[in-house]
Amino acid sequence: MSDVAVRVDHVSKSFRMYHERNQTLKSAIMRGRTSVHEDFWALQDVSFDVPEGSTFGLIGSNGSGKSTLLKCLAKIYHPNKGTITHYGKLAAMLEVGSGFHHELSGRENIYLNGSILGMSRKEIDRKFDDIVGFSGVEQFIDQPVKNYSSGMYVRLGFSVAINVDPDILVVDEVLAVGDAEFQKKCFDKFAEFKRSGKTVILVSHSMDSVRAMCDHAAWLNKGTLKAVGEATPTIAAYEASLDN
Amino acid sequence: MNYLKEMLASRELLINLTMREVKGKYKRTVFGQLWSLANPLALMLIYTFVFAFIIRIELPPGDPSGLNVFAIWLLCGLLPWIFFANVLNSGVTSLVSNAGLIQKVAFSRVVLPLSQVASAAYNWLFEIAVLVVVLSILGAFVLPWLPLVVVAMALLAVFASGLALMLSIANVYFRDTQWFLSIILQLGMYLSPVIYPVTMVADASEGVGGIWGTPVTILDLYHLNPMVHFLDVFRSLLYDNRWPDPTAWLVCIAWAVGALVVGLWVFRRNEKNLAEAL
Ligand SMILES: Nc1ncnc2c1ncn2[C@@H]1O[C@H](COP(=O)(O)OP(=O)(O)OP(=O)(O)O)[C@@H](O)[C@H]1O
Ligand SMILES: [Mg+2]
Repeated sequence: MSDVAVRVDHVSKSFRMYHERNQTLKSAIMRGRTSVHEDFWALQDVSFDVPEGSTFGLIGSNGSGKSTLLKCLAKIYHPNKGTITHYGKLAAMLEVGSGFHHELSGRENIYLNGSILGMSRKEIDRKFDDIVGFSGVEQFIDQPVKNYSSGMYVRLGFSVAINVDPDILVVDEVLAVGDAEFQKKCFDKFAEFKRSGKTVILVSHSMDSVRAMCDHAAWLNKGTLKAVGEATPTIAAYEASLDN
Repeated sequence: MNYLKEMLASRELLINLTMREVKGKYKRTVFGQLWSLANPLALMLIYTFVFAFIIRIELPPGDPSGLNVFAIWLLCGLLPWIFFANVLNSGVTSLVSNAGLIQKVAFSRVVLPLSQVASAAYNWLFEIAVLVVVLSILGAFVLPWLPLVVVAMALLAVFASGLALMLSIANVYFRDTQWFLSIILQLGMYLSPVIYPVTMVADASEGVGGIWGTPVTILDLYHLNPMVHFLDVFRSLLYDNRWPDPTAWLVCIAWAVGALVVGLWVFRRNEKNLAEAL
């Protein structure tokens, strides 16, 4: 295969599981500690490479650590062990419309959200028409976003995020929302990404969309890597495990 | 050094988040930005009634400005105090109330508390501008002192930022912090020379002398409160129109730098864990 876009190298991530979470001073002073906890390993020694230019699916059942891994990629979490290296600009879309302010208009929120995602004002100015065009909410762009339908909200958020124009795009299950037309638009956008040699890493519970979009996949189960490689065999292995 | 670079890179985000606060705050109100004046004016009226009319606090006239208006003297200290209290009260919750954003997007976290400082500063600038106009109408020669007023405002903003950085982190681990803080700030106003002059504390302290036979007086302890020095600087510049005591400047600078250094250090140490801890 060609070059590597993302290298996940022996990554482990633990969370503290609190038996009794007490974020109050009283409990801290009374017991001399803030809480009783034990470590829960959400990711254990996960290693794989994501080839450049591939569309890479991350599959596995609920709680298997997919979102945790994406957050490690996005530098929201920091792994306890191991390293993640990426080559090129990485943007993560873990939730669309994070940081939208309900009283502000769609236009103002594009600028706000864009800058949260790391775009400069000039960049947003340049891409503004594309963003609005892709979202399909032209008519409502000067309305406060609290008057948007939930689908419109997601469309706008998605349009801002997709226009960050990264080399590596990380997406967590945000495609499930939006109507059929918009979903199609998103798939087309991912295909366009792929054509221009960019890498997409996505999480989905819909095996049909993973099969349709991804050429590579990794299967996580309870924090460990079960299989990785070409999409078809990996998906088949996962589905076989579900049938048992 | 790297940290400074990162913060510089985030300045556009800081501006946008600040504008989010500023624009969102008085949206859909009839009076808009004028609401920023409502709180200080209401406090000014009630304190003037109680402390100038009923209790009759004696104030020396402004020297050399010659002003002798309790309400105006009060505002010269009250506006900085309200700014300070607003920064801390909104700064302390800045991380907790943006938990969703912190857990979903990677960005320089320090902009969250700092945008609270900046949006409070925006309102404060507006209030001080109105006060300066009123002072000028009343005959105070305040315009030449404006550059120094701005310096003093910047120092107080730096001091408040440092505290806000520490408090926002503390509140992530102990949600008690925000409730504790609001009590401390209420008491703090009475322990600072906002509604009475320091000279009254000095007089009272003289009557008592050293505490328990030590040479330490109540006034010395009183001076441990940094706001005593900040308010001294503001009143000298705005109300008296004279050079503030150089030691007051030095003490303010020391507190501001100290708070910022400790605040940034605490923040840096903890920011990586925020997404999990929230
Ligand atoms: N901040 C956290 N603190 C404690 N535990 C966490 C935290 N985030 C995730 N976990 C735990 O880590 C495990 C993996 O969670 P994760 O969100 O990565 O699952 P997922 O594969 O994305 O599942 P889903 O398909 O439901 O989205 C879960 O058991 C979850 O409880
Ligand atoms: Mg998930």
